Amino acid sequence: MTMFSRRVCSRAGWFALGLLLCGSSVLRAQPSHVGPMPSALPVSSAEERRAAYEARIQEVLEWYTGLVKPSDPLIGDLVGVSARLALGRDLERCSRSVIELMKTPGSSPFWMFPTAGVAYLGRDKLSPEARAAIRRAWSSVMQLRGDTENHWAMYYASLYLMAQLYPNEPASSWYTGKSSEENLAEARDYLIHWMRLATTVGQGEFTCSHYIGEYAIPLTYLAAWAEDPAMRLRARMMLDWIFADQFANSLDGMLHGANARTDDTSVIERWNSLSSFFSWLLLGNTPPPAAYGGFGVYFAAVARHYDLPEVIYRIGVDRGGDFTQRDLKRSRRRWRGSDVEMAPIYKLNYSRRDYAVGSYQGGISDPIQAHVWDVTWAVPDPRGVHNTIFSMHPVSSMDDLQMYFAEFPEQMMRAVTTEGKASYDSPDKFLGASRYEQVVQDQDTVIALYNIAPGTRFPHINGFFSKDLVDLTEDESGWIFARGGNAFLAYRPLAPYELQRSFVYRSSWTGTKQDAGDRRLYSPHLKNGTIVQAASASEFPSFSAFQAAIRALPLTFSLEPVPTVSFTSLRGRKLEFTHGRVPVVNGRPVDYSAWKLFEGPYLNAERGSQKLTLTHGRLERVLDFNTLTITDRIKNP
Amino acid sequence: MALVFATLPGESSASTPAAAVTEPAVAAAAPAHDLILCASINRSYVIGSKMVTFSGLYRRVADGSFEHFGPNLLYLSAVSLDPRDHRTIYLAMLNGALFSRDGGERFRIGTSWDMTEPKDIAVDPNAPDTVYLALPDGFAVSTDRGWTWARREKGLPDRGKYTQAIEIDRTRTGRLLIGCEAGVFLTENSGTRWRRVLPTRATVYDVRQSPTNPAWWIASTQRDGVHVSRDSGVTWSRIKDLTEDGAWYNVDFGTRHPDRVALSSWNQGIVVSEDGGRTWAPRNAGLPADGRVMRVGIDPDTDALYVNVRSDDVYRSEDFGRTWSETGLKGSTVSQFLFVKKPQP
Repeated sequence: MTMFSRRVCSRAGWFALGLLLCGSSVLRAQPSHVGPMPSALPVSSAEERRAAYEARIQEVLEWYTGLVKPSDPLIGDLVGVSARLALGRDLERCSRSVIELMKTPGSSPFWMFPTAGVAYLGRDKLSPEARAAIRRAWSSVMQLRGDTENHWAMYYASLYLMAQLYPNEPASSWYTGKSSEENLAEARDYLIHWMRLATTVGQGEFTCSHYIGEYAIPLTYLAAWAEDPAMRLRARMMLDWIFADQFANSLDGMLHGANARTDDTSVIERWNSLSSFFSWLLLGNTPPPAAYGGFGVYFAAVARHYDLPEVIYRIGVDRGGDFTQRDLKRSRRRWRGSDVEMAPIYKLNYSRRDYAVGSYQGGISDPIQAHVWDVTWAVPDPRGVHNTIFSMHPVSSMDDLQMYFAEFPEQMMRAVTTEGKASYDSPDKFLGASRYEQVVQDQDTVIALYNIAPGTRFPHINGFFSKDLVDLTEDESGWIFARGGNAFLAYRPLAPYELQRSFVYRSSWTGTKQDAGDRRLYSPHLKNGTIVQAASASEFPSFSAFQAAIRALPLTFSLEPVPTVSFTSLRGRKLEFTHGRVPVVNGRPVDYSAWKLFEGPYLNAERGSQKLTLTHGRLERVLDFNTLTITDRIKNP
Repeated sequence: MALVFATLPGESSASTPAAAVTEPAVAAAAPAHDLILCASINRSYVIGSKMVTFSGLYRRVADGSFEHFGPNLLYLSAVSLDPRDHRTIYLAMLNGALFSRDGGERFRIGTSWDMTEPKDIAVDPNAPDTVYLALPDGFAVSTDRGWTWARREKGLPDRGKYTQAIEIDRTRTGRLLIGCEAGVFLTENSGTRWRRVLPTRATVYDVRQSPTNPAWWIASTQRDGVHVSRDSGVTWSRIKDLTEDGAWYNVDFGTRHPDRVALSSWNQGIVVSEDGGRTWAPRNAGLPADGRVMRVGIDPDTDALYVNVRSDDVYRSEDFGRTWSETGLKGSTVSQFLFVKKPQP
């Protein structure tokens, strides 16, 4: 079927590139991917940071350009051309390759942005014939705008730049049937609209494990090449905004906690994502994923145009201690089946040295790829480690799909599973969010309650139990205890369950699975729940002392008529939570109406403000979209 | 079920018994209507991959097969032509509402970023400068032949205005019905104000007016059955013989045999009536066993029945679904069969 391809498989280009590059990666080493863990110590010198950053950029570009033999007559893809143009190398072959590649233009933002990138990188490097070939391609083939925010970010940033590059050209010379000026105006209006939305009520595709690339790349293009100083500045500020958000939600460079969109791999191997590429490149505190995440090569080609502000760098690598960050986000746009167009997402992140806990309040932020909550623990080297624990209700639902997709829902199910999201209709998956799940988090305690409607396709919940947990104990008290790195974990299922072998998805396209040694907590009960309490090993003299402390915590719960829990956490906080009601913490209902756009020690913004204050120690940066200003300040001690 | 037929002066009766149906002599002359299809032929295309097939507009040629014309367009939902000049073509597709003035060689995206993924588009035959657009978040009108668009949603609910289908009452200027998530809505002033005439529990997938009896309308829904109106869409009743579990995609009426009606369905395949909707029968023999019938159309010249089975082919039946033959549009998923009257020489 046609409709689903563009939306659920919007990372198709990434996947294709990833497949290509992963295959190649075994042939040619990627130094940082296979090398030792980088130091987690902050680098104080700005010059040293910049030099290390540029060295990493160079590593990516050298690796990718090395995949094509000098004897090959042509470079087979635009990313290869981009890398060479960024290096100023092999220009004649770049021109010949562009002419060849432009004979069969693509039809989507995934073709538009690389082409726009090549057009700008090659402005003074490509031959006139090659540049003319690019221009012709933008005239002849209808480019699909797609239907996700990341599609539109790529589409309109690319259209903006191409219209700017070729001003005063008639409508007949563009696939849109609009003149250069009309294209530029439409693209500008949308980009400003999107930025306004993201900076007032929150991002829709928030803290994504991969889609961050689909924003970072076009924004960097705009920051580098927009002639309008205001657009350049807007793009620069949005880059700061999304990187600050991403890194505040990272643990040693690993994105953790809730994601608007992730995938079957990243949801359990939290490091293994494009997000880690950005951590590696910009922070230097974790290895990059294989093939630099695919899209990483595109970013590297323009990365010299961006300089990460020190305050964001420090937020990413230099944590003073435990912290809580509350963020406001929003769901993907809902076409139907909902009382609201975009549901608010109340996101919470509690980070410590040994682990981090992240969540949102449950419900569907994205119909297929959302991840609602987890506890993720720090590890010395995250490569191949499944360092997370969580539960979820696996959903496969036409109603959910049609809420977000303007298509006939009857056709979506098969399309989802055959066009890039093989796990969608699988009962053993760990990816996705459910309308039947509600979550409350307080520091390092999470309660997730499930009240699944009878007749629901998958009437059970899955709990993820990693191969990397040690000392896993099913205690007579009903708690399951385990250690993950230096984190002690207590997991309390509220309904009967069994631990089953679990299989890791190796391909989102084929659905190929592999037994990696993980286990799935399978609990086939409609009324259900999970309590997780984490602690640092250093807080207790022994693991058994932690277990004894957990057993002693006051806990009452019932599942009928709806799941309800009263639990006093390890931190002495009383959590009372009934499915369908506002959770109560220490006798006070959680006041979501007071939730700010950002609130925490590092990121702060009022709802609707368009103004984000980034703080680390004495460093402060204010991104103000109202005045289009960036204000840096070093506060007095 | 017993239906009360409102036969207007000059309209043919809709009560002809099925047994009395005979095949009128098909005119030997060339058909009076062109058949245009919106079709996607998608071999695992995903955003970012190369299109290796031709999708978009197809037209029927003399030997009954279909040829592609215009740009290669995926995600095309609907097409409408200016009755005065068939070189003016309007499309509803992923990027918005498009129009062409040269028969489909070049298009302009008439809408901007604030309107996306329209599901249907229709030129008002009574005022052909006016074009209507069904949006997943409402409804829009262009009064300048597609150059500019404005929303007209007064009377539509804030939520529930997902609009799938448009049908213009050809007998009354400015009167049209639209199929939405919350039901069928009626306007008598080109969308200036709407009122709901049929509440439904699921999205209305199609609304159609009989070509021979303007008072006879049928609305099909996602999972709220099929509804009929005999008073020009003012009041409606459910067709009890047709299951609610149908995902009834579209409906079409016969012209040469005015009592003929056909419905396409995800679950039921093709279901027809030859007695003005009194009785219904599946006509799936000869179609793929698990055929998901996406679209049905009845040729106004011959009453030949066309159906599309999703990602399979377009099938044609000369005996109203008793036997079928493939037309050769392999792998196609059709979102619209549009029969348009050929321009007068």
